[in-house]
Amino acid sequence: MRALLATLCLLLACPAAAQPLEHEVKAAFLFRFLPYVEWPQQSFEAPGAPLTIGVLGAPHIEDELRHIIPGRTVHGRPVVLRQLKEGESARGLHVLFVGRAASERVRAVTRLAPWQPLLVVSESPGALEQGAVVNFLVADGRVGFEIALDEAERRALRISSRMLGVAVRVRPPNS
Amino acid sequence: MRWVQAIRGSVRGKTMAVVLTTTLAALIVNALALLAYELQTYRQTRLDDLRTQAEILGRATAPALAFGDRKEALKDLSVLHARPDILAASLHGADGRLFASYEGSPGALALAQSPEALSVGHKGNLFYMSQSIFEEGNHLGEVRLVARSRLYDRIVTYLGILAGVMAVALAVALLVSAWLQRAITRPIVQIESAARAVVERQDFTVRAPRTSEDEIGVLAEAFNRMLDEVERRQGELRIADRRKDEFLATLAHELRNPLAPIRNAVTLMKLSADKPEVLAEARAMIERQVKQMVHLVDDLIDVSRITTGKLVLRRERVDAVAIARSALEAVEPLARSGGQAITTRLPDAPLYLNADATRLTQVFLNLLNNAVKFTDAGGLIEFELKAEGGQLKALVRDNGVGISAGQLESIFEMFHQADGSLERSAGGLGVGLALARRLVELHGGGIAARSKGAGRGSEFEVVIPLAGAHAEHGYSERAPGADASARPQRILVVDDNRDFAQSLAALLRGMGNEVHVAHDGAEGYAAARRIAPDISFLDIGMPKMNGFALAHRLRQSETTSGAILVAITGFSQPADRQRAKDAGFDHYFVKPIEIERLQEILTRH
Repeated sequence: MRALLATLCLLLACPAAAQPLEHEVKAAFLFRFLPYVEWPQQSFEAPGAPLTIGVLGAPHIEDELRHIIPGRTVHGRPVVLRQLKEGESARGLHVLFVGRAASERVRAVTRLAPWQPLLVVSESPGALEQGAVVNFLVADGRVGFEIALDEAERRALRISSRMLGVAVRVRPPNS
Repeated sequence: MRWVQAIRGSVRGKTMAVVLTTTLAALIVNALALLAYELQTYRQTRLDDLRTQAEILGRATAPALAFGDRKEALKDLSVLHARPDILAASLHGADGRLFASYEGSPGALALAQSPEALSVGHKGNLFYMSQSIFEEGNHLGEVRLVARSRLYDRIVTYLGILAGVMAVALAVALLVSAWLQRAITRPIVQIESAARAVVERQDFTVRAPRTSEDEIGVLAEAFNRMLDEVERRQGELRIADRRKDEFLATLAHELRNPLAPIRNAVTLMKLSADKPEVLAEARAMIERQVKQMVHLVDDLIDVSRITTGKLVLRRERVDAVAIARSALEAVEPLARSGGQAITTRLPDAPLYLNADATRLTQVFLNLLNNAVKFTDAGGLIEFELKAEGGQLKALVRDNGVGISAGQLESIFEMFHQADGSLERSAGGLGVGLALARRLVELHGGGIAARSKGAGRGSEFEVVIPLAGAHAEHGYSERAPGADASARPQRILVVDDNRDFAQSLAALLRGMGNEVHVAHDGAEGYAAARRIAPDISFLDIGMPKMNGFALAHRLRQSETTSGAILVAITGFSQPADRQRAKDAGFDHYFVKPIEIERLQEILTRH
């Protein structure tokens, strides 16, 4: 954990004393995924329309994201954050983070909007089998992630091959 | 410095020096220019290349950097193995701390971490490059590269190539200069050695060989021609010298000849002071010999006059037939005693010439005397006179000893003796024909000699333009230095001073001109209208009409407007000169007028 934290401290440009916490790292990573993912044109109303991130069941990550996103753009678009309540629809979202607290909800959520170009990110083991596109894993003191390219393909999401190199596991697309 | 001397003293040295210097200079300038350019572009090129490399690496390692995957980052950096010139590379996070690194050569990483590495550029023998990594406007970190610079190696190689090229170029230069030597300097040297031979040994038979078609060949040619000329003139000088010596010998002999009889005669007179018939005989002998000497001296004087250009002809309208008759009469005694017969063919009517009667007689007499001299007893001499094509032709033919082809021209040369012994026995200086030719030429004509060869007789033809045929034919030839004979003009002299007018008129008449005289302006005007003179000499200060007014009126009148007007006056103010010019005078002279001025005017017009 110390190695991880030391590394991440580097990335987050934090002063030597502080150690980043897991949710901080995950929030940072989540934000950093975004440039490597391409959404279809139709998922945005207008060229300048914002990219909306929905967070379900991850208040800490949500807070962290609120610190990160102001003034930043992704693909030239502003980023907007929305807290999702239980039962609320994922319509209008481009990214949905399902926290550990709501991990059992992954399948339900993914089934609700199976074709929506929605980057579903989770942090529970086996979430990919439940329909997530990206799933955070923590192993050997490092935060890593796995990617389901078939799920991404199904949702018309293009994920840059450059991200695949740093992923722990990649599930290939259906060919 | 000896080699400086070698260059200054030889054309070959110079050409070699030129070739070598230009080659070296060109090479050095070229090399320096290229070297400078190389250095400049090499540095730029390498930096550009490293920048690109860093950018590529940055893009490649961005995800690894973004997601903290050091393993991935190291994998990305390892592609640098393909670039042996890149010694080390390092990847740094946003805060500058080292994330991943690559070391291509042991110990190189330390260089990458040195403070110099932070700047971009060339230091020591290394290139340093750094490039920031951005993703979506996020500053993720930095990639730094350290590469080996081969700058100094290149310079050394360059200088090596330069040295090699220079060596080759010098060899080529030596070959070229050897060729130059053959083509250019050798011909020059040949001319130079020929020149030196001429100067040192006074040997004018030396010639320079002509070996090329260029300017040097022309120089050699010109040099040779000059030597030809020198040789020829030397020859001519020798001949002239010899002739002069012969002439002096002849002269001495000819002068001495009459002296002996004269001395004898004097002695005789002394001894026979009381015998009148002996005295008479002696006087006659002296008279004869003196006549002979006078002849000789006259000839000598004529010769000197001709050669110094002081011979003046008194030309007037003369009848060539009458002159011929008198010359024939003069030669008759000589012909009779020589046993030759002279036949004549003369026209019945007179043939008029503008000539000096005395001189023309001299010419005919000379030719006839020669014919008698050079024809044996019993020979025939013919004298013919005729007019042909506006010219007088006089022909003297004989069947005597003839003239060989080579001498047909040289017999007219001064002091030429056709046959030394014969000439001497007959008496004479060898100047007769030369004089005759000169005299005829002064009359605007010429003499030619013709002969079928030795022993086969000869013919001399004299051609002179007849009077009435205007001298504008272009016949008139000035004897060099001599005053050309003016052709006769119609002249009017107007002056109230009768003595002056008469004397000027007499002078002008003596020169062969037709002169009219008037003693005042009105008379002068009337005379001018009547006779239409070619030249008018007008006095200025005259009663009834002065010179200016007269000139003015003459210019106004058509018949007289074209004449030459000469003012002769006692006034000599500059204002008068201008007045004369304004009045229409062509010339202005102050009394007394010199005869040379008169002659000038007459010949000029």
